Amino acid sequence: MFDEIPILTLMLVIPLVGAALTLMMGKGKEKFAKYVAGIFSGIVLILATILLFEENVAALAENHVWIDAANIRISYILEIDGLSKLMVFLTALLIFLVVVFESSESDRPNYYHTLVMLMQVGLMGVYLSADYFLFYIMWEVTLIPMYFMISWYGGPRRHYAAIKFFIYTHVASLVMLIGIFAMSFQAAELLGSPIVDFSFAVVASAAPLFEKAFQILVFGMLFFGFAVKMPMVPFHTWLPDAHVEAPTGGSVLLAGVMLKMGSYGIIRIALNVFPEGSIWWAEIIMVVALVSIVYGAYACVAQTDLKKMVAYSSINHMGMVLLGIAASLLYIKYTASPVESLASLGITFAVFQMFAHGLVTAVLFMVCGFTGHSVGTREMPLLGGLAGKMPYLATFMMIGFMASLGLPGLVGFWGEFGVIFSFYVGAEAMGHIWLIVFCLLSIMLNAGFYIWAMQRTLFGRETTKIDMSKVHDVSKAQGFSLAVLCIFIALFGIWPDLALGVIEPFASSFIDIFQGALLP
Amino acid sequence: MIPIEFFLMFAAILFVIGIYGIMTKNNAIVVLMCIEMVLNAANINLVTFAAYNGAIMGQVFVLFTVAVAACEVAVGIAIMLNVYKVKKTTVIDDLTELRW
Amino acid sequence: MFIEYTWLIPAIPLIMFVIVGLLAKGDNNRGGGLAILGALATLVISVLVVYEFLTGDAYATEGFVTESIKWFSIGGYEITLGYYVDGLTCIMLLFSTFISLLIFVYSMGYMDDQGKRKSRYYAEISLFLAGMTGLIVANNYLMMFVFWEVMGLCSYLLIGFWSFNHPQGDEASDNAASAAKKAFLVTRLGDASFMAGLFVLLYAFQSLDFTEVFNVAAIGNVDHNLIVIATLLLFGGAIGKSAQFPLQDWLPDAMAGPTTVSALIHAATMVKAGVYLVARSFPLFTQSAEVMLFVGLIGGITAILAASMALANNNIKKVLAFSTISQLGYMFMALGAGGYLMALGMNNSDPALMALGGLGYTAGVFHMLNHAFFKAQLFLGSGSVIHSTGTEDMREMGGLGKKMKSTSITMMIGSLSIAGFPFFSGFWSKDLILDTVLNASKYGSEGYLFAIVWILGIITVLMTAFYMFRMWYMTFGGPEGPATETCHGESPKSMTVPLWLLAIFAFGSGFLLLFGLDGIITIDAANGFLVGTLAGEGALYWVEHMLTNPYTYLSIGLALIGIFVAYLMYSRFAVNPGKFNKEGTSWLYRALENRWWFPQFYDWVSWTFGYKVGKTVNAFDQKVVDGAVNGLASAVVESGESGKYMQTGNVGNYASVVMLGMSVIFVGALLFIYYMGGM
Repeated sequence: MFDEIPILTLMLVIPLVGAALTLMMGKGKEKFAKYVAGIFSGIVLILATILLFEENVAALAENHVWIDAANIRISYILEIDGLSKLMVFLTALLIFLVVVFESSESDRPNYYHTLVMLMQVGLMGVYLSADYFLFYIMWEVTLIPMYFMISWYGGPRRHYAAIKFFIYTHVASLVMLIGIFAMSFQAAELLGSPIVDFSFAVVASAAPLFEKAFQILVFGMLFFGFAVKMPMVPFHTWLPDAHVEAPTGGSVLLAGVMLKMGSYGIIRIALNVFPEGSIWWAEIIMVVALVSIVYGAYACVAQTDLKKMVAYSSINHMGMVLLGIAASLLYIKYTASPVESLASLGITFAVFQMFAHGLVTAVLFMVCGFTGHSVGTREMPLLGGLAGKMPYLATFMMIGFMASLGLPGLVGFWGEFGVIFSFYVGAEAMGHIWLIVFCLLSIMLNAGFYIWAMQRTLFGRETTKIDMSKVHDVSKAQGFSLAVLCIFIALFGIWPDLALGVIEPFASSFIDIFQGALLP
Repeated sequence: MIPIEFFLMFAAILFVIGIYGIMTKNNAIVVLMCIEMVLNAANINLVTFAAYNGAIMGQVFVLFTVAVAACEVAVGIAIMLNVYKVKKTTVIDDLTELRW
Repeated sequence: MFIEYTWLIPAIPLIMFVIVGLLAKGDNNRGGGLAILGALATLVISVLVVYEFLTGDAYATEGFVTESIKWFSIGGYEITLGYYVDGLTCIMLLFSTFISLLIFVYSMGYMDDQGKRKSRYYAEISLFLAGMTGLIVANNYLMMFVFWEVMGLCSYLLIGFWSFNHPQGDEASDNAASAAKKAFLVTRLGDASFMAGLFVLLYAFQSLDFTEVFNVAAIGNVDHNLIVIATLLLFGGAIGKSAQFPLQDWLPDAMAGPTTVSALIHAATMVKAGVYLVARSFPLFTQSAEVMLFVGLIGGITAILAASMALANNNIKKVLAFSTISQLGYMFMALGAGGYLMALGMNNSDPALMALGGLGYTAGVFHMLNHAFFKAQLFLGSGSVIHSTGTEDMREMGGLGKKMKSTSITMMIGSLSIAGFPFFSGFWSKDLILDTVLNASKYGSEGYLFAIVWILGIITVLMTAFYMFRMWYMTFGGPEGPATETCHGESPKSMTVPLWLLAIFAFGSGFLLLFGLDGIITIDAANGFLVGTLAGEGALYWVEHMLTNPYTYLSIGLALIGIFVAYLMYSRFAVNPGKFNKEGTSWLYRALENRWWFPQFYDWVSWTFGYKVGKTVNAFDQKVVDGAVNGLASAVVESGESGKYMQTGNVGNYASVVMLGMSVIFVGALLFIYYMGGM
């Protein structure tokens, strides 16, 4: 059906055109920027939905040589598989809903939409590219619009937050870039090829030849680069600042899809190219993940700012993603003859958790951002009894919080359940099943801070500490965005196979290759 | 034939005078003139070696240098003229507007 | 014919939840009508399913009917979505759907003045019904867990129904919000344990389907220690949900919700889920006598602890809440004792012991059934009283018996039943339980512990009779209190009719034992844990068994003493209760009044291990982790700051430095060449 149309390129070009159009909207026409952005992101969403159900994805791949000079070959390769399908869908969905959600009250609404559209170009590029150089470029492309989004439309400390975000993640990407260079050049050398080719396929073909020490070292570099993006403790402090200061849409995109770039990179690049290195790092990854989970959850308990609490909860939930990855590695490391379905379990649910967290956290940031916008403060000690004045907001907030704390029947539960089960399998292989106590602690703490936060904001007596006379409930467009997300949360929560069916083939073939590379 | 050392010594003296001027003088015009002296010291070296080694390349380079020096002086003096219009001075130490 | 449609039982209320939640708006009873319609449909289908199952062939041979579709697979293990119908399912389905229907009808009267909130209420109780029935018909543990949590959510929502804009003011709003939080978090602690149990089971059995997990051969293949761990973890879930020691303290607070909710969720159905879980998992629990002993001990401790707290409470709903906890303790006592005997019987291949153990199972489930009826009745009765008087404090009531005839008589029936007055329903099951516990104390090396449990149980009988009649006399007997004078009189028909219906069952459900119910809710360890044999012992056997047992007369005697003492103290005022507690200042009385300081203990735990650690982590995060990041950044900035003075902008300075550098290099090169011995 799509043999003729370069649909993957369209995913990049359409938002780029949208960005150009919104950028050029002059005075007086700014208010149409939202509709233009909505139409363009809507088209991308339709394409992404079609892609989600497309079976024959190999035929969609596009491969053109881009730069072929001085013994370096950089190609423009776009590919899609089970992992990127979900991420592309998530990106398209969130971008569309962010555009719909945004109430254009800021002074330069068209630039805001330009930045959102540019974000989409970068994010789609990251999830679609199959060339390390293109991947890196796209990775950096996402930084710039986000930087401006925070520093133009953000809160009171936006400049500090924007600079911190930019420098922190940029330094990490440079480390990652060195790792990418190391592996690409080493691959060319090992393959005996005079031309250094950056495409995923060529580097992957050299992967079994890498020496163990090299694998361990370069895996560490890549892991650092990705872990900062995820973010993992102790490289997480850019996140709360960036989230708190960013505008609502920025926070949604930052937490919903940008953090996933980190875990996506770990699976797609670090594990894929360095099986032995990743096996060596397995315990360290596990410790990092567990620390992030418990630390993130505990940090949430002490927050008074709703948005900051949700930001820290992202650390906790992304820790779950990393734990799933670690679980797969540990199981393979400590089992004499690993069963493929169990080995791929951790990866499967890590990806599911990425997807689930993307949906859920979008709702969370939307409701928290809206609360701040409407009530004038997000400080929980000042709030109380909002449910009486804002019933719809209260409903959405409750659904979001419940999904995030892992209530069965909503999408968050399956990610958590699957990851902890996979970790149980991994820990059982290690002979330390008591380690899941940390996960159970995290479940308890999650319930604790979310329920407590609801008690303090939505329920109880109506607050008298702030002026509640101008408080208004969500608008129709905002309600639409939230409702769509909630429907997806419930849909994937009731029938997780919708997403798992996409992930499982990817995960099992991934693990096949992974285990194959480990064999002597 | 005059020994090559004479030329080289001459160029070296010229160079040192120029450098000394650049280092010590406060007047921008004087500094520009000193830079010309340094350039010309280099030119003399180039011509000398070209003549002694019979390689025409050195003389070609001198032409380049002369051309570049002319441009540089033109730009430099133009800047100083404008500076003088605004600041009524060409003393380098007083031109600290953009520092730090 | 009907059994294939078992899946409709949870589906219909779920659909009603969506319809009522999305469509029913405004101050009208459309939502209520729809919810009742859904509950009625659920009840009808349940009855049809149960009828078909009990008369069908599968019942006699396999003991269950199950059917499922694939839900998803996790690590190659398929998780299914389906139903599993056996004798236990039938009993649970019948009483929970029936009581739900009655309470939904009752709600029409009780919640009539709630305005626009009504539709939310009906949506939430419909979701609850879906959760409860889904839990009952689930064919695997994960599905069960999902519905288990859905019920937890509904419990949270309904306890917090008045958590904002409470009709009684801000104080009550805060209280409801806090109670809802406590209920959710404390049960969540149990749920986390349940979930951990699922992991152990899933990995050990490679499936969570009941048919796979309860397979005797499969159980034999699994490491015994893993089963012990798994069952203990599952029991942790039951402790949370069924409010057992030490997680019992959320239930009294949960009384902040509407009384109908207390009746439905916190007395008749949801809190039974823990008992149901243990009963359902009997094939696993009976693998270890120690685990069952633990279950029994927890039950015994809870029974007496909760009963003791009920002695000194003046809130009519909280007294009932404590008695619910106490009665749940009885059920666990029965299951523990029965399972203990069964485990010993299986170890020694002793069919007689196994049969005795089966009796404990019957007793536990039977008590669950009876308790659902009489406790729902009592709660609805108290709701009727609260509706009429507008207060929950029994000290303000009194003398209501004349003004509210139906309520007082039906509540008398309920109280007699729970106190174990002969031939009322509570009598049969309670004595069966005590009988089993006493049996258990005679076998095994740890059997003497069950003797302690029995003593706890028999003391609880006395306490139960006392506090129930204390409640009854304080409410309906004696002189008229201030609230009685202003009460609205008897409640409307939509409330009294369910009361009478429940009262009939509260009196009569015990007789089901005489008509073969024990044949449906028995479990046969010798026969692959077959639930139900249809072959009841018969009426004569049970009447004889009960009436020839001397301990039956002991418990009847204690119950009568309890009733009589309550009568003396609170109706005749012949004995001043203050005499025993130094007018409320004795140490014991204060302990009871403060619920043995459990709320403070919970607060301390959550404060210390939750908030304080969180604060520390946050401070560490701000000071150390973020401090390091900002420190690094400012170190870079400051080094640049101090280095920038090297850039004077003066060409002369630059030229000097260049010259100096060149000279150094030149001289260095010359020296180098010199030391190397020339060119």
